[in-house]
Amino acid sequence: MTTVISAGPGHEPGPARRGRVRRLLDRHWYAWAMVLPTVLVLGVLVLYPLFQGIYQSFTDLNETNNRDLICTQTLGGGEDCVPNPDRAQFVGLDNYVDLLTGERGHFWLLLVNTVVWTGACVFFHYTIGLGLAVLLNRTFRGRSLYRVLLIVPWAVPAFVSAFAWKFLFNPRFGLINSLLSNVGIDPVDWFNHRWTSMFAAIVTNVWLGVPFMMVAILGGLQSIPADLYEAAEMDGATPWQRFRHVTLPGLRPVSSTVILLGTIWTFNMFPIIFFVTGGEPAGETEILVTGAFRAAFEGLRNYSLAATYGVLILSMLVVYAAMYRRVLRSKGEVW
Amino acid sequence: MSTPVVFDAATRVYPGSTTPAVDSLDLEVRAGEFLVLVGPSGCGKSTSLRMLAGLEDVTSGAIRIGERDVTHLRPKDRDIAMVFQSYALYPHLTVGENMGFALKIAGLSKAEITARVTDAAKVLDLEPYLDRKPKALSGGQRQRVAMGRAIVREPQVFLMDEPLSNLDAKLRVSTRTQIAALQRRLGITTVYVTHDQVEAMTMGDRVAVLKDGILQQVAAPLELYDKPANAFVAGFIGSPAMNLGTFRVEDGAAVIGEARVPLPRTATAALTESEVVLGFRPEALEMVAGYAPDAFAVEVLVAEELGSEAFLYGTLEGASLRDPQLVAKVAPRSVPPKGSRVHFRILPDRMHVFSPATGEALPTA
Repeated sequence: MTTVISAGPGHEPGPARRGRVRRLLDRHWYAWAMVLPTVLVLGVLVLYPLFQGIYQSFTDLNETNNRDLICTQTLGGGEDCVPNPDRAQFVGLDNYVDLLTGERGHFWLLLVNTVVWTGACVFFHYTIGLGLAVLLNRTFRGRSLYRVLLIVPWAVPAFVSAFAWKFLFNPRFGLINSLLSNVGIDPVDWFNHRWTSMFAAIVTNVWLGVPFMMVAILGGLQSIPADLYEAAEMDGATPWQRFRHVTLPGLRPVSSTVILLGTIWTFNMFPIIFFVTGGEPAGETEILVTGAFRAAFEGLRNYSLAATYGVLILSMLVVYAAMYRRVLRSKGEVW
Repeated sequence: MSTPVVFDAATRVYPGSTTPAVDSLDLEVRAGEFLVLVGPSGCGKSTSLRMLAGLEDVTSGAIRIGERDVTHLRPKDRDIAMVFQSYALYPHLTVGENMGFALKIAGLSKAEITARVTDAAKVLDLEPYLDRKPKALSGGQRQRVAMGRAIVREPQVFLMDEPLSNLDAKLRVSTRTQIAALQRRLGITTVYVTHDQVEAMTMGDRVAVLKDGILQQVAAPLELYDKPANAFVAGFIGSPAMNLGTFRVEDGAAVIGEARVPLPRTATAALTESEVVLGFRPEALEMVAGYAPDAFAVEVLVAEELGSEAFLYGTLEGASLRDPQLVAKVAPRSVPPKGSRVHFRILPDRMHVFSPATGEALPTA
């Protein structure tokens, strides 16, 4: 079918679709022009690396085979390039199979560490943040001072806190061990056992992550109407019942968002593990992102394996977020 | 069965404030009565209610429900239920759960709760909505849920804090009568706060008028209308409002422009100043044709013809009122045109005389 609508004077009538595209461009060119920079930036910074990463995870790309051409300088000052016979190959699912079967790397160890790390951190972030927010939500003297002090950890760069805490946990000179000795407990060689090492990292990250939760929850608390508490008081609810039946449900929209965000952030929280435990002892406290980093930048740089880690992390988080959303929706939360 | 409520010199001073929000309130709410607290915003009516609810501390004085002194009891120990202006429904609970929440907290059995919630829902036409969340309800339905939540408690006293102010005008009128009828049927002592004097007049058995934390007058609606204790009550109650103005007194008559309006002898006897505050309601004015010694001239600005009645708004010649315009009720369908000049006289027995110094009503008979 050919179009009966002419695209304009001097234009030949084209197929209907082309006419429509042209008309869209004609009419909305301004909107397209406005959107274009964002599309370009997102494309260059997000979509291109994402798809390149996914592609690389299906190759055996590493430091030794990342050149497409091998060039030699010729006597005349020119260059002579031939295709690299050993360049990276498409290897299908080999990387995934190797990782998931434990052929290369310690995927399952890292996964367990990551889940423990994320679960513990988010749990303490949320509960401590909630507790502090509830405390700070009442009026008392010096409230603003406390609020500022409690936000300080947030303002400190993560690696600075990481080093500070690593020093606190230092087995020989650390403040924590000397406190333990003072109360008559044997000092702990924190970074010599998997779970004590992980504990040190978790404590550090809890210290870092609580302020965000506290501020977010404080905002949520202030959005709960005061009459609801009064109504509950009239209904005879005790303070604990008011907390359970008014505060917690009132916080649900904020909580669901910050818990999802917190989970994603903690799952991918690189600097704390990297600087506090450094994987000690013997890589037993690595999490998935630090594993990906080590694959990519340590020893023989294995870009394809790192990309495979990345794709696996991304897929797990996508699945988690989707499930999380479904659970919330089944509870009648609009989100 | 039902219980009286007594405010005994109850005072509330907010921390950091020197003037009391409620100043030594003495008020008795009779058993089974529907008492309306009314006044302009900031008059202390809501604070009084919240003191009775236990949501506001009583600085001095006492509050009694029946024989019990509840002054320092917690809200839940007072056996009262409250309807909030915002309704304060729990958003995550269904209508049924909202209504049954207090009973659940009180530890009643599931069967008992269901029975009482169903009964209340029947009374309020809420049965089809018991499983819905509040946000899926209309404003009027939410209002009824808030009522239902109070009813299921079967309390000794109902407290209502402007429960109709979030409804549209039409729904407000119909809900007004429903609440009044429900209260009469249940016979539970009710204290109702509103800023709307029409609500106060139509709903209350008695109405208490407050201003600046001080009780001005408690009386049945018509008594408030006919015998206001002071100029504030006179101006607050009634719609359109009473015309009030301060006039010079000469030889026992108030000077209104060219008119000399004779004052009752009892009033002039009680008067210590050479001025007087006169009040006359729109319907206390009578149009006179031509000259009369006690008739004053009014220039008509606006005529409101409502069919069954008509109001004239105009300016008084040679004198001024508290409000810029004088309101007069006139016979409908023969209203003087805008811009015309008409004469009115005050019906002598419908005149209110107040002391200019204290605002108190002076005896007129």
